[in-house]
Amino acid sequence: MRLLRLVSGRLFSMIVTLLVISLITYAVFVLLPSDPAQLSCGRPCTPERLADARAFMGYDQPWAQQYVAFLGGIVTGRTFGTGAAAVHCAAPCFGYSFQLNESVTHLILERIPVTFSIAVGAAVLWLIIGVGTGVVSAVRRGTAIDRAAMTFSTIGVSAPSYLVGLLGILLFGFTLNMVPVNGYVPLTEDPVGWLWHLVLPWCVLALISAAVYARLTRGQMLDVLGEDYIRTARAKGLRERRVVGRHALRNVLIPVVTVFGLDLGSLLGGAVITERVFSMPGLGALLLDAVGNVDLPLIIGVTLFSAFLIILANFVVDLLYGVLDPRVAP
Amino acid sequence: MRQPSKGKALMKRRSALALAVVLALAGCNANPDVTPDAGGSTGGTAKGGTLTILNAASDINFDPAKSQNLAITTLGLVLRRLTTWEVQPGKAAQVVPDLATDTGKTTDGGKTWTFTLKDGLKYADGAPITAGDVKYGIERSFAPELSGGLGYHKSLLVGGAEYKGPYSGADLASIETPDAKTLVFHLKTAYGDWPWIVSMPAFAPVPKAKDDPKKYSQNPVSSGPYQVESYQQGVSVKLSRNPNWDAATDQVRTAGPDNVVFQLGQDTTVQSQRLIADSGDDRSAFGAGFVAPAQLAQIEQNASAKQRLVTSDAGALSYLALNTQRGPLKDVKVRQAIQYAVDKRAYQVASGGAIGGELASTLITPGIAGRVDYNLYPADPSGDVAKAKQLLTEAGQTSLNLTLLSENDQPSLAKSQAIQQGLQRVGITVTIKPVDEEAWTAEVTGDKGDYDLTVSSWQPDFPSANGNIQPLFASTEIGGGGYNIARYSQPEVDTLIAQATAETDPTKAQALWAQADKRILQDAPIVPLTYTKNSFLHGSKVQNFFVPSFPAYPNYLKVSLKQG
Repeated sequence: MRLLRLVSGRLFSMIVTLLVISLITYAVFVLLPSDPAQLSCGRPCTPERLADARAFMGYDQPWAQQYVAFLGGIVTGRTFGTGAAAVHCAAPCFGYSFQLNESVTHLILERIPVTFSIAVGAAVLWLIIGVGTGVVSAVRRGTAIDRAAMTFSTIGVSAPSYLVGLLGILLFGFTLNMVPVNGYVPLTEDPVGWLWHLVLPWCVLALISAAVYARLTRGQMLDVLGEDYIRTARAKGLRERRVVGRHALRNVLIPVVTVFGLDLGSLLGGAVITERVFSMPGLGALLLDAVGNVDLPLIIGVTLFSAFLIILANFVVDLLYGVLDPRVAP
Repeated sequence: MRQPSKGKALMKRRSALALAVVLALAGCNANPDVTPDAGGSTGGTAKGGTLTILNAASDINFDPAKSQNLAITTLGLVLRRLTTWEVQPGKAAQVVPDLATDTGKTTDGGKTWTFTLKDGLKYADGAPITAGDVKYGIERSFAPELSGGLGYHKSLLVGGAEYKGPYSGADLASIETPDAKTLVFHLKTAYGDWPWIVSMPAFAPVPKAKDDPKKYSQNPVSSGPYQVESYQQGVSVKLSRNPNWDAATDQVRTAGPDNVVFQLGQDTTVQSQRLIADSGDDRSAFGAGFVAPAQLAQIEQNASAKQRLVTSDAGALSYLALNTQRGPLKDVKVRQAIQYAVDKRAYQVASGGAIGGELASTLITPGIAGRVDYNLYPADPSGDVAKAKQLLTEAGQTSLNLTLLSENDQPSLAKSQAIQQGLQRVGITVTIKPVDEEAWTAEVTGDKGDYDLTVSSWQPDFPSANGNIQPLFASTEIGGGGYNIARYSQPEVDTLIAQATAETDPTKAQALWAQADKRILQDAPIVPLTYTKNSFLHGSKVQNFFVPSFPAYPNYLKVSLKQG
């Protein structure tokens, strides 16, 4: 019952947060000087043609009315224009991209497998490498291993993903010819090709993010290893591996899971730079193109979806706290 | 059309550090497997193979009503129009028949134009191409649902201003089809360049029975040598041969490759690295986008890649617009002083040096028939400071403060700074106001015009001096989305433009446009800076790859692949 109350309460706050984000996003883009109708008007664009394009796209209405129509579309779907050329956007309609002739919902769903493939694989890698490195560093504090790991993580934290991606492509793609330099192969079509094309993006993302987790884990682990209950465990004669692995790591994981949840949520919303460098048609690439083309409905749709994923990740992290630490169980 | 700034998208997204390191690594022979089997840009028209075109855009819109494609690029492979362009290196572009038997006949001085379709024209499915299909294709371009394409015809055809497309049930009476092979167009006023207008995408035939406006952008009915075999938004588009295309009816398309694959969403830096490496399928590929200045430097160091770099002749006009409706800039003497004060050499350097463009002095650009080369304001490429100061003194303006509206990407700012420093020498203080690209477009094409100076570039939508002059200097193009960003209004010039537009004799029309060119520059509303050059890179198996001065893009229709 308590869990049910928690879940329903969080769902309600998620919806409110998303509504606020959608309102702000809408307002920001309405206030911008660019006019989506002008961009879709063609050339030359007479005032009459511009008015026609604006009316068809629904931008001739006051912005508050446009916003309400947008929200209504999520529930009931929307139709733009009339007659044989009318465009219907089925519910849940998060807008319609007039530049790509497709509903935003469809475009997002089409891109999800790519981004999720990149994000989940990279996240697993960086979690294993980052936490592992952090634990070893903490346990071997002050040794050459510790110093090497922290130097490596400093480089990882500082390196821009664009740079690491291009260097990775030059080295492993062009010079060593070990992996494909770009492109995406769907898992359902060719599992080996899927894996092969994703190895480099995973490694690039993992290299950068693992560094953060290594530093975080090391710091937390050092704090925890100084706690009384660890000393007690050691005094009881438990083996060091058990002390670290079972007693210390469990507490270290709480802040790590928090950061991991947010990072994964953000990445699922689109690994913008990685997708662009590796020419992978994911949500990040979609958003980047939408911004470049001032494709307003698409920008709003992808922004909302990304926000939803981050909020969802937060929610899952909250639930996981209970698993990791019974004191905060719902 | 407004030319995109070279390397702009690139510079927006990456740090200078990243590029420096990558280039350093590449310079240290990061591609030892490069096969120095460089293919020339010319060669035979061999048949076969799969041509790959690397494209930064994530989408190609094949709907002719919504397209602004040039006649010689992507859509030209799939869709034929009434006329098309014959472009060859070193020659001015010519309008030639495509679906029609000729480039149009007029019997009333350019108000009525008649075209006849060639015999034996078929779509990919074997159905005959009819005059009614061409009419329907044009009509659907009027529908607000399908706006976005080149629409010069919309305001020229009688009744076009009010017509809302065929989906409302009405047809456009000013396009007559007395039989299945004849089209008659009735224009509101005489228009000598109508043969060019009918080379635009909207003049491709669309069979009404196959028209699904929602899907046509990915699945058009092919009339050209290729048809869309598969379309994966954001990933790739594959074209395969149209079995019913007859080469005997087509004088511009050589249709060399068996297949053409567009790889979409390709990062421009990675594109360049792939083409420099020139291995595997990339040997049969070329990049659809300009090679950015940073990559040009790298290519210069690589003998194989350098051989495969094709740079256009000087083409689009890059210019400084002076807002003729603002304060001291209303005075022609001040504007003329700025002609001498600008440091064109510094601007050229900021644009990538000689490979980025040649110094300009006229409005009509190289590659356009009838262009007359002249220089009303002869000076050293760095300007003539003394002459500029003298003119400013005569105008009673010895110290001026002007605002230069600039796009906020690094290449644009560098160019604006070159202008700023040039004008500083004559006592004109320029304040650069950087804004985002969309804000820039909204400001310069809007009604307010709150700026003194701005830098822009322009390539006509069709190869006529009309496209150089009318959109930039006709008083009807001020504000309201128009590109007369100097806000120049001169009744005498408007009259000249009207006369030249109506003239159906190309030679006479060209003479009138050349006259307008000089007349406008006497009033100095803009400072011509450079005729820009675009560079493209291709793989070693790509043949017949050339980039004319107009349009400064590769001619996709003639590219073939070396066999064997």
